[in-house]
Amino acid sequence: MLETYRGTYFHPRTQFITIDASGNVLESDNVLFSLKKGDEIGSVSPFFDGLSAYFDLEEDNDIKFTCIHLENGKKKEFTCDIEFKTFADPSQPSLVIIHDFTDHYDYYQEVAQSRNESVINSQVLELQNKYLKEKEDFKNTFIANFSHELRNPLTGVTAFCSVLQKTDMSTEQQDYVEVIKSSADHLKNMIGDILEMSKIEVGKLTIEEELFNFHELIELLDFTYTVKAKQKNIVFEMDFDDKIPRYIEGDKTRIKQVFENLLENAFKFTATGKVTFSVKENQRRARKVNLNISIKDTGIGIPAEKIALIFNSFTQLNNAQKYSGTGLGLSIVKGLVELMDGKITVESEEGVGSNFKMNINFKYPINQENTSLDDKSDIENKNFLTKEKYNILLAEDSELAQMAVLKILAQEGHFFLDIITNGEDVIESVIHNEYDLILMDIRMPGTNGDELTKMIRSLPVQNCKTIPILAITANLYDDDKKRYKKMGMNDIIEKPFDETTLLKKIYKYLK
Amino acid sequence: MKKASKKIILLGHFGVGKSSLIRQFVENTFTSDYKVTIGVHILKKEVEVAPDENVSLIIWDLEGYDDIKKTRASYLLGTHGFIYVFDVTRPATFENLKNDIDYLTNQYAKTPLKIVGNKADLVTKTYLKENANMFGVQPNFFTSAKTGTKVDELFTTLAKELVK
Ligand SMILES: Nc1nc2c(ncn2[C@@H]2O[C@H](COP(=O)(O)OP(=O)(O)OP(=O)(O)O)[C@@H](O)[C@H]2O)c(=O)[nH]1
Ligand SMILES: [Mg+2]
Repeated sequence: MLETYRGTYFHPRTQFITIDASGNVLESDNVLFSLKKGDEIGSVSPFFDGLSAYFDLEEDNDIKFTCIHLENGKKKEFTCDIEFKTFADPSQPSLVIIHDFTDHYDYYQEVAQSRNESVINSQVLELQNKYLKEKEDFKNTFIANFSHELRNPLTGVTAFCSVLQKTDMSTEQQDYVEVIKSSADHLKNMIGDILEMSKIEVGKLTIEEELFNFHELIELLDFTYTVKAKQKNIVFEMDFDDKIPRYIEGDKTRIKQVFENLLENAFKFTATGKVTFSVKENQRRARKVNLNISIKDTGIGIPAEKIALIFNSFTQLNNAQKYSGTGLGLSIVKGLVELMDGKITVESEEGVGSNFKMNINFKYPINQENTSLDDKSDIENKNFLTKEKYNILLAEDSELAQMAVLKILAQEGHFFLDIITNGEDVIESVIHNEYDLILMDIRMPGTNGDELTKMIRSLPVQNCKTIPILAITANLYDDDKKRYKKMGMNDIIEKPFDETTLLKKIYKYLK
Repeated sequence: MKKASKKIILLGHFGVGKSSLIRQFVENTFTSDYKVTIGVHILKKEVEVAPDENVSLIIWDLEGYDDIKKTRASYLLGTHGFIYVFDVTRPATFENLKNDIDYLTNQYAKTPLKIVGNKADLVTKTYLKENANMFGVQPNFFTSAKTGTKVDELFTTLAKELVK
């Protein structure tokens, strides 16, 4: 019986072949490949070509090859292990044993296939990410540098518009200058946005914490936007919770920027109806107050499928010309809110309106009564001046900037201005002249402005420790600002500056 | 007419295009599907190395390994020439290029070896020029199994060296 079963169920998968020294078949059991006596074994596969090269003919050999792909005449593929036995005795023919392990190797192939594919995919993904990141970094650095460079010529434009306005001009000319000025301002704002966004993206923007009067900020916004709403013929509603601490700690400028940005946005997209600005206390814990802030409008709204995109850089949903801007406002807002450890979300329905909701924690002093801020409001400090004439040193290599400062100061009538264009000469001049104030460009040939400041501060000359030094720069990264202060600069005037900014700062420090 | 047969082996990481290079050389076809080779496939193609002189190349298409030392020793028996292939787009496939090549030149000092950066169609010529040092060793050819660039040249050059 066993023999019958063997006959029925045993499928031998091994072929035995004997060959002569030149590779011709002597005998074969043809289990896998059919070969006749005299056939070249090489006809099965080139694998067998040049076989003799594998062996040392002087002795007996036994060599195994694993996982060899062979094809029989009917195009059927086998994956086999192949064994060779050769004998030093020339009367003994060589033996070839072919084991068919196709099933086993097919399984192994599948395993290898999925392993290799997943390894390669992850390598490719990793590379793509790396490439994307490099591209992104390049983009951000490029944008930052480029917008920075744009600021210098723009300073010339804005400063000279102010100067030009003071000259004798016809009304028509005055109007044109006004147009130039407002276009330049618009451009300046947009460049500012782009620079700001790229700073957020490269992590160069930091949030300051200072004590300020939060109620006052809200009142100011309330006033501004009530007026604006009247002009636009829509309603502005301020819903402010008076229990909120008057003084809180935070970055006043940035908080104001976030609110203004969202309010401007709401106004921009609302033609009829109402904009509601609501600031509510959520809870207090330890020395922190948690605020729910929302800015709601009845404007055009955002289509559902686009909501996820609106905080991305460079997206303005309505790309039609109707609404101008860089489209960066909301992504800057989001970046700033997140830097303050807050959250911002939006709910919106097309044609009904949008509601931007924020949740932000602020520190506040427990004792609000004794908190007073010295009123540093930038009112005209002019009236406090004590001297007839003030000596001012301007260290600046750009002729455009020199002219701008010169014109602005000349109009005031009580300034002597020394201009030095080269870093090296500054120190010399500071030693020999008694200046009341120094305006210091940062990027200058020779020595940089911040280095010069450090040197001046260490000079053994009487007023060098105290003389106000103001940086004039378009380098606006926070690290830079900090460094300038550390080097001994009192304040920074950002390029592009206009007449008012420049004079305000100068008067402030001359006081 | 003289006719010799020479065994050459393609080595290199998996997925670098060894099988594709051979397919392009032998059949003039290319497919973007990736079928992982396990063990070895052996193909044959005759190449004219001189007027009236052909050589029959027996080409061993090996399974890719990330470590050359794992190559089964039996496969390497009686090899006349090596082609080491890497993928110019995947650093993992040329990170150890220098070591692998040193290993081969030490172990098989007399066996001709060609170093090939494949998938050149995926990068620009400028990229290859500017990043020449990235591979650690100067490759003999930058090929594309997809477009066929330098594929015939690679095999013919090697074949000619084998019969010298
Ligand atoms: N674009 C492009 N793709 C290629 C080229 N050569 C191979 N490929 C692709 O790369 C993948 C891998 O190619 P194979 O030839 O199978 O690689 P291999 O080196 O034989 O891989 P293993 O057998 O696993 O060692 C396939 O999807 C091919 O289509 C090439 O020159 N250009
Ligand atoms: Mg392969």
